[in-house]
Amino acid sequence: MQIKLNINGFLSEYEISPGDTLLQVLRQHGFFGVKFGGCQKGECGACTVLLDGAPVNSCAMLAAQAEGHEIKTIEAMGEHPEQGWKKTAGLHPIQSALIECGAIQCGYCTPAFVLAAQSLLDRNPNPSEQEVREAISGVLCRCTGYLKPVQAILRAAAVLRGENVPPIYGAPQTLPLPADWPAGAREQSEFPPKPGQPETAVQSKVLPKMLLSGDAQRKATSQIGKPEPKVDAVKLVQGKPAFTADVELRGLLHAKVLHSPVAHARIKHIDTSRARALPGVAAVLCYKDIPRVIYSTAGQSDPIPGPLDMFSLDSKVRFVGDRVAFVAAETPEIAERALKLIDVEYEILAAIIDPRDAMKAGAVIIHDEKEFVNFGDSNPQKNLAAEIRIDIGDVQKGFAEADRVYEAEYTVPKVQQAHIEPHVCVSYWDEDDRLTIHSSTQVPFHARRILAPVLGLPIKRIRVIKPRIGGGFGGKQEVLIEDVAAHLTIATGRPVMYEYNREEEFTAARARHPMRIVMKTGVKLDGTITANEMRVLSDTGAYGCHGLTVTGNTGHKAMALYVGDGPYRESPNIRFYADIVYTNTAPAGAYRGYGVPQGYWPVERHMERISRDLGLDPIEFRLRNTIRPGELHPFSTAWSEGREPRPEIVHTVGLEDCVRQGKAAVGWDQKFKNPDWHMVAGKPYQRRGIGVAMVMQGTAIPYLDMGGASIKMNDDGSFNLLIGATDLGTGSDTVLAQMAAEVLGTYVEDILVYSSDTDFTPFDKGAYASSTTYISGAAVVKAAEQAAGRMRERAARMLNERKDGKQVTAAEITLAERRANAPDGRFVTHAEIALDSLHHSDQEQIMGIGSYYSKSSPPPFAAQFAEVTVDIETGQVTVDRLVMAVDSGVIVNPVTASGQIEGGMTQALGYAVCEEMVYDHKGNIREKDLVDYHIFRAHEMPVLETIFVETFEPTHPFGVKAVAEIPMDGVAPAVGNAVLDACGADVLSNPITPERVWRALR
Amino acid sequence: MIKAYFRPKTMQEALDILSDPALNAIPLGGGTNISQIKSRDVAVVDLQELGLNYINPKGNSLKIGGTTTLNSLATYTGLDEQFRQAAAQEANYNIRQQATIAGTIVAGDGRSTLLVALLALNGFLSWLPGSLDQEIGEFLLTRNGNYPGKLIDSVTLPLNPKLRFSAVRRSPADLPEICVAMAVWPSGRLRIALGGFGPYPILALDAPERGGAEMAVRDALTNSGDQWASAEYRQQAGAALVRRMLAEL
Repeated sequence: MQIKLNINGFLSEYEISPGDTLLQVLRQHGFFGVKFGGCQKGECGACTVLLDGAPVNSCAMLAAQAEGHEIKTIEAMGEHPEQGWKKTAGLHPIQSALIECGAIQCGYCTPAFVLAAQSLLDRNPNPSEQEVREAISGVLCRCTGYLKPVQAILRAAAVLRGENVPPIYGAPQTLPLPADWPAGAREQSEFPPKPGQPETAVQSKVLPKMLLSGDAQRKATSQIGKPEPKVDAVKLVQGKPAFTADVELRGLLHAKVLHSPVAHARIKHIDTSRARALPGVAAVLCYKDIPRVIYSTAGQSDPIPGPLDMFSLDSKVRFVGDRVAFVAAETPEIAERALKLIDVEYEILAAIIDPRDAMKAGAVIIHDEKEFVNFGDSNPQKNLAAEIRIDIGDVQKGFAEADRVYEAEYTVPKVQQAHIEPHVCVSYWDEDDRLTIHSSTQVPFHARRILAPVLGLPIKRIRVIKPRIGGGFGGKQEVLIEDVAAHLTIATGRPVMYEYNREEEFTAARARHPMRIVMKTGVKLDGTITANEMRVLSDTGAYGCHGLTVTGNTGHKAMALYVGDGPYRESPNIRFYADIVYTNTAPAGAYRGYGVPQGYWPVERHMERISRDLGLDPIEFRLRNTIRPGELHPFSTAWSEGREPRPEIVHTVGLEDCVRQGKAAVGWDQKFKNPDWHMVAGKPYQRRGIGVAMVMQGTAIPYLDMGGASIKMNDDGSFNLLIGATDLGTGSDTVLAQMAAEVLGTYVEDILVYSSDTDFTPFDKGAYASSTTYISGAAVVKAAEQAAGRMRERAARMLNERKDGKQVTAAEITLAERRANAPDGRFVTHAEIALDSLHHSDQEQIMGIGSYYSKSSPPPFAAQFAEVTVDIETGQVTVDRLVMAVDSGVIVNPVTASGQIEGGMTQALGYAVCEEMVYDHKGNIREKDLVDYHIFRAHEMPVLETIFVETFEPTHPFGVKAVAEIPMDGVAPAVGNAVLDACGADVLSNPITPERVWRALR
Repeated sequence: MIKAYFRPKTMQEALDILSDPALNAIPLGGGTNISQIKSRDVAVVDLQELGLNYINPKGNSLKIGGTTTLNSLATYTGLDEQFRQAAAQEANYNIRQQATIAGTIVAGDGRSTLLVALLALNGFLSWLPGSLDQEIGEFLLTRNGNYPGKLIDSVTLPLNPKLRFSAVRRSPADLPEICVAMAVWPSGRLRIALGGFGPYPILALDAPERGGAEMAVRDALTNSGDQWASAEYRQQAGAALVRRMLAEL
């Protein structure tokens, strides 16, 4: 049928099918700012457009319905102000404010925020914060925690009202840390408004509090520590076609996968002939059609530290959602229809759903394939994907010396990464018959290496390109779907796109490992821990990807924090045993925190319970036993990810300062043990509570993770920075550009970042293990120093050739503000150096290349505080406030770093109270969309506060440690401890649902 | 799969299309449930030009057109504030701009906060063709997803009862695990509807006075257990919510 649509003021005719959604039609016609979130109930809002000024989800309405209405997309908002000789009006104030406030992380939902804000401000030019939150609550964001988007919209409203707004990007003041710092005095002063103009109070909320820990010293820097806008923000805020699914290719086919409806079965018979015969179908593949190559989907360095136990397609299915067949067709609809025409007969096998059944005698064997490749202690005959046995010190002796021994079992659930951009990839043969794959991946180089044998191609004939990523959180540290598109491209010779929908994300992607964890802790009556033991049963699901390393980190990070005190501090007694078992459920994998949030739920709930039982102050008890600067990381000599362990000293621990600052911010001393504060006026059935958790994470994987970078200078003194590191929305491209700019004496706007392409950028292991700022950053510094060295040499020569002053040496030249400066004040500009080197004399390309791997993994530390209100009759928990004080070393960019903390706390909040994936006895999952699997929306958020307590990590040129994963670790136990504080409900399983609280109270 | 799209200008035209057995046509309000009709071939009749998006007070009642959006309900100040909250909690902000009251009545499940409130208020549905009025509770009990040739013209709500609505959730904007709506008429008549589970909300009590309300709620929740919460829990939590509402009223 033909319809006329008025899109962005242009009325045009469109040929559509009656069932086409508005989203489909808009994207087919190049409106790529309208994003596909994979959902079918309009729950994510990434596809928001304005219909007659109101925000609607274009996936949840027919294109035909929109006829006669005014449709507005992000393409009608502002644009880059300078386009060569053409000047434009520039970005809309809402877009500018989102950039200025650091409200853009992955950027996938950013166009939707812009439009929702526009709709609000058109109706209400002076909204309250709650009105802003309500107006954007139809758009899910998994990255930001909404704090900065809300502040940005308030800021834009002020701009549009013509008010004076404070600059965001003045460098935040880093203050020394007074011993007793009162909470109220820490607030940064607002930019003074002009008399008579109202003040917008966004700056103090957008910028975190920054404090120097102890006697930590920062290097004098010009770019490090600045809240620079993200280098990719301008394109993302315009909704430019920057993501994988935005690629347009002639002859593109669409892939779909037939997923298993049963948890465990052999395929007795499969007939694809009816599907192949359907007009528009280009290929149908089942296990009979492609080589049988065993591999692991885990995106990790070689050799993959886990079993090889998966095939692209197999004659056996091992979970509801496992692969049965691939289809490529001219349209997604035809491909869907073809799936229904594939005839499959299953021989149903017994299924293991409960991990406690996996190793029982007589249990069905999930991996009986002869090609299975063991890693370490995996044993498929016992459904054992991996096994860990670590004893540090003499644990039995420690228990014997304890006055009390506490033992309890805790459980943590399976949860989903829920990035808003689904898994998506596009593959095609290039003109040299090399297979090119665009993929939303965190690990382009690992993907290339892992795919090569699976596809029967040498590595050199595969090229992986990573465009912008719409969130990953570990879910894209997996070579999950690239093989599907690639097999179909090989079969058809044509380009193929495969994009998960939201249901597939829940049924056929990866998730956080659920675990059952028994804690046993020996303690003296004075609070000294004498021995600490953790025994874990970890459920890796049907395949063992990341099973060993995720679970290893559960102990390596969570059991390393409390070493004990006195002689026990000298020689800690720690035991960590884990069985990682197969079940017939969707595989677990990497998820931000990588096993550590699973560890801190039991550790921090256990510490709280012990301190209360012994009548000790929970904070003093913890700090008495925590690891201190200069001490050996207790696990460093016992276990490492895929490499032999080597001793590591923990140089910087800002934990005590974090506790002090967090306590002050949350008002701990006024609330804890204050009975009046715990009561709620007028609501006798409610109680308030306050809780704390202390956590440590890691920074990169020592002796393993490596990143590379190259830099070249251009004619105008700008630089191309090529990195293999993959910015999945975190802002790592920006942070790496800041490091390069610092070394090169220039500004971030002169650093053109490209990341990443296996053909053109240096190797990088990818975005995981909290390593990019530390590892890739150090590589960037090395590359920049090479280029800077050449610049100094040339600058010295140029200055000396002028003969207008004293002779200078390269060592005397400093680079700053786009100049190479001599001590006497003379200088040459970067542009002059560039022109001289490329065109004028003794020509050379000024460039540098560097790579870095680390021998240490300096842990960041944090104190997490939570305030809750509990309904003691229904068990309902409302989290009112989260405060996190973090030691992540030197903060390169306060806005992007605090965005990581806010977003991480928000994901962790879901882990605390509402997120879990539940299976029935047949292995069917309860949650298949973002309605049943609830992630927090803007209008239901607690107050979030971030404090950075800076230490200077000596193993990094700029003193940085990681920031990305640690906010996942402490929220759930802090909330659990706050619930205990509120009403005595001692919940040992998260999420802390109303029924669990209610049962705990009984 | 949607095979044809119609946008009639008159109600008669709409009813003619809907009653044509060859077309297998269904009414289309906001369209937010369109993904759920992929399993069969249908034609859709878009009702947007039939003037059914209205809220009209009429004496002691309110007549609400079938394609009135959830956002209109959530923001209409002539409605009880707690009813507006129930409408607002039905769907996210964007979906509320599109989704309609009739669509929610036809497709909403037991976790629909709006349906729970409508059931407590004993709303009446007016069907076309003809002028058949039907209690919403009666409709929910017989709902089968197949109403050939018919559409919901309007919903009538009484304005004289006071409404109390409360829910227990894992987070403030999550779907309810248990929710209770209680309507009290000036005469003392009390209706309690329960939701958070099952295919549609249930009526726990319709009585001339408030006695026995808590017990009625416990009884009604006896078989409410599912993957999300046990019946035992729902009974206790539901009873607690009802106690509070009664105290407030």
